[in-house]
Amino acid sequence: MVEKKVSLLQWMATYDQRWVYLILFLVVLGPMVSPIGMPISVSASTRNWYEKVTALKKGDIVLDSWSTEYSGYMELKPGLLATHRMLINKGVKLFVCLGHPEGFAVANVVFEEELKSYMDKHNYKYGVDYIILGYVFPNVASTIAAVTNFQDAVKTDWKGVSIKGTFLDRIKTGADITMIVDFTTGAGNPGLIDHIVLRFGTPMIQNPIGVSLPGALANLDAKLLQAVLASARGGAELEYLIREPGPGLIMMDAFSLGHYMVIIFIIIGNIGYFGWTKRERARERTTIR
Amino acid sequence: MDLLTYLSVVLAIFIAFCGFTTLYGKGNPLYSWAEFSYLATATAMSVMWSWTATFGVRYAIQGLIRGELIWVPAIILGILMWFRVYPKYSYLSRVSIAFTMGIALGWGLRTSIFTSFIRQISATIVNLWVPEYGIMYFIARTTIAVSIITMMSFFIYTTEIKGPHLWSATIGEYIMYTAFGAVFAQTFMGRLSLFVGHMQDYMFPVWKQPYTIGAALLVFVILLALDKKGLAQKLAAA
Amino acid sequence: MSWFFKSKQIQLSILVFFFLVGFVPYFFKMPPVEDFANNLTRIAAVVGNFTIVIAVYSQWRRSLRFIREKRKGWAYHIYLLILMSMMIIIGFTLGEHHTAYKWLVSTIVTPLSSVFYGILAFYMSSACARAFRARSPKAAFLIIAGCIVLLYQAPLTGAFLPGIEPYSLFLTDNLGMALSRMFAIAIVTGAIILNMRMLLGRELAFLGFAREES
Repeated sequence: MVEKKVSLLQWMATYDQRWVYLILFLVVLGPMVSPIGMPISVSASTRNWYEKVTALKKGDIVLDSWSTEYSGYMELKPGLLATHRMLINKGVKLFVCLGHPEGFAVANVVFEEELKSYMDKHNYKYGVDYIILGYVFPNVASTIAAVTNFQDAVKTDWKGVSIKGTFLDRIKTGADITMIVDFTTGAGNPGLIDHIVLRFGTPMIQNPIGVSLPGALANLDAKLLQAVLASARGGAELEYLIREPGPGLIMMDAFSLGHYMVIIFIIIGNIGYFGWTKRERARERTTIR
Repeated sequence: MDLLTYLSVVLAIFIAFCGFTTLYGKGNPLYSWAEFSYLATATAMSVMWSWTATFGVRYAIQGLIRGELIWVPAIILGILMWFRVYPKYSYLSRVSIAFTMGIALGWGLRTSIFTSFIRQISATIVNLWVPEYGIMYFIARTTIAVSIITMMSFFIYTTEIKGPHLWSATIGEYIMYTAFGAVFAQTFMGRLSLFVGHMQDYMFPVWKQPYTIGAALLVFVILLALDKKGLAQKLAAA
Repeated sequence: MSWFFKSKQIQLSILVFFFLVGFVPYFFKMPPVEDFANNLTRIAAVVGNFTIVIAVYSQWRRSLRFIREKRKGWAYHIYLLILMSMMIIIGFTLGEHHTAYKWLVSTIVTPLSSVFYGILAFYMSSACARAFRARSPKAAFLIIAGCIVLLYQAPLTGAFLPGIEPYSLFLTDNLGMALSRMFAIAIVTGAIILNMRMLLGRELAFLGFAREES
């Protein structure tokens, strides 16, 4: 049997989709083995975030909300680490509230590995400058209960140690919080805007993942949020802005190539469609059988 | 680095690539192993956090031991909730569900009306022309207002779409498709960052790179060998 | 006593009563009612956490059925039950901050959690490579807008095509945001209507009444 030769246009319309997977792998792993070092520009939204965090003063109490699974942390890592470096530098008091069970693993990685040396350099101590409260926001009802009567609701940190005698004694309700910094995948973000921002007027800034970005921009426009940091790209811009290179800037090589790869595949697919598929369908319709 | 941490990193890299084998397009034992491992450990983690979270089960029991009687109805309602799984006695769970749904509706409705409805509408209906902000502000605000109104008119199905309504719905449809393109790009950015961040975890520090590349090749070779022998789908879970 | 649980009117009254307790104090200053509502909220938070037992029970029931009937993949279900039980026992006896528990989390949960979401990048890439065809003017608009924003999002583009920024930001900050706002308004409208139907007794399937009637 004679094998029919596949033309370039036919291949463009009918190639095995697993080539896309393989090329995406190579495009992401390649720049990590051999970094290219691409330039980055800083957007207005990142500058706005920078200004809001810079406006905090030493001793201000910030609710550090992590409503993210470990997978979401992979995307929010640049913004989270860069923002925390700024907060540590400023000397603000942080209390970390987790909105997802996997946030426990994120907290371990961030405070016991990624930021440890930075905190030691700035003498930023657990129990004095920051406290991890743990899985305080498992659902909306818990959020409401915690922010309406904080002292009754939350008595210990994530390891069961009493928080009495710490800076958290100053927190009675959500009104006593200076600002909320929220890193969220959108999942398990139980009503921070609904029950703290709206009720007490506490300012809030949010670093959402790409999927939740349009919703966050709508809230920003409605003045429910004061600043939005756009996913990993925003985090990389922030790293550049504060002159503390980190995982975000390293990511940007693979990030750029991944985007270009998708655009190229869209173009290939359309060339294949107009060059072969459409004509093939017209040929099938008009064939005399 | 101690042996336990080293083993944890190497095994994590291997199990991650086992998870990626689903992209091959056929069921295989490597993916099944990864899938069931995640199901088991993630469920166990959720159990632990339901027990230890603030307002978790342990919190209520400790409160009860301290003499706080408020937790008596909480524990009773919680136990009644469990009867949901027994068809014969599932009616016992109704009071727990009615209670939690009532509270959730009360708290949810009172604020979402403002945040997702009134505030969003009032942010749309603003002064379109503010001299200090210039022409670009005017174009932006007008675009937002026109987009929302025309897109909403596209979703009105209770009357026949004709005349000016048809024009509005058509414009709304085109704006919606354009907006979907922009939103898709942001969504893709999110998913790509997630994957790139994940791979970064396995490529840095640099000592991990040989293990990552080695694990990827090993998993690929095992998969191809299993598929060639016809064992891949036979040994898979589904 | 079962009449109390089986009565639609009583359950509906409970639903409406607790809804009013949560809803009304927001609009009127009633400190005693607000304190009562806060206590009820704490109770509701705890009740929500009891439901995890249902998930574990369902998983055990399903897995045991697979094992009993020796369906395809039954050995994996044995592995699942053993691993899940082991991790729960470690968590309860040694605590979730113990090395053993943290080892299991960092070796299995964290990498696989990232994999199952990271895989979406591949599926999105292949979906848009297959499905994004400019078959009509609307599809062309979608593809062009998508490509403009994708190009801007890649940091390297700023080096050779800096002029793309205002167009991309116009698409995301105005059109994309408007779409999201439109859906938020529509969804909340639907949610309010559904909530009203529940409170008026028109939608009681969540309480199990529809099943009984049928």
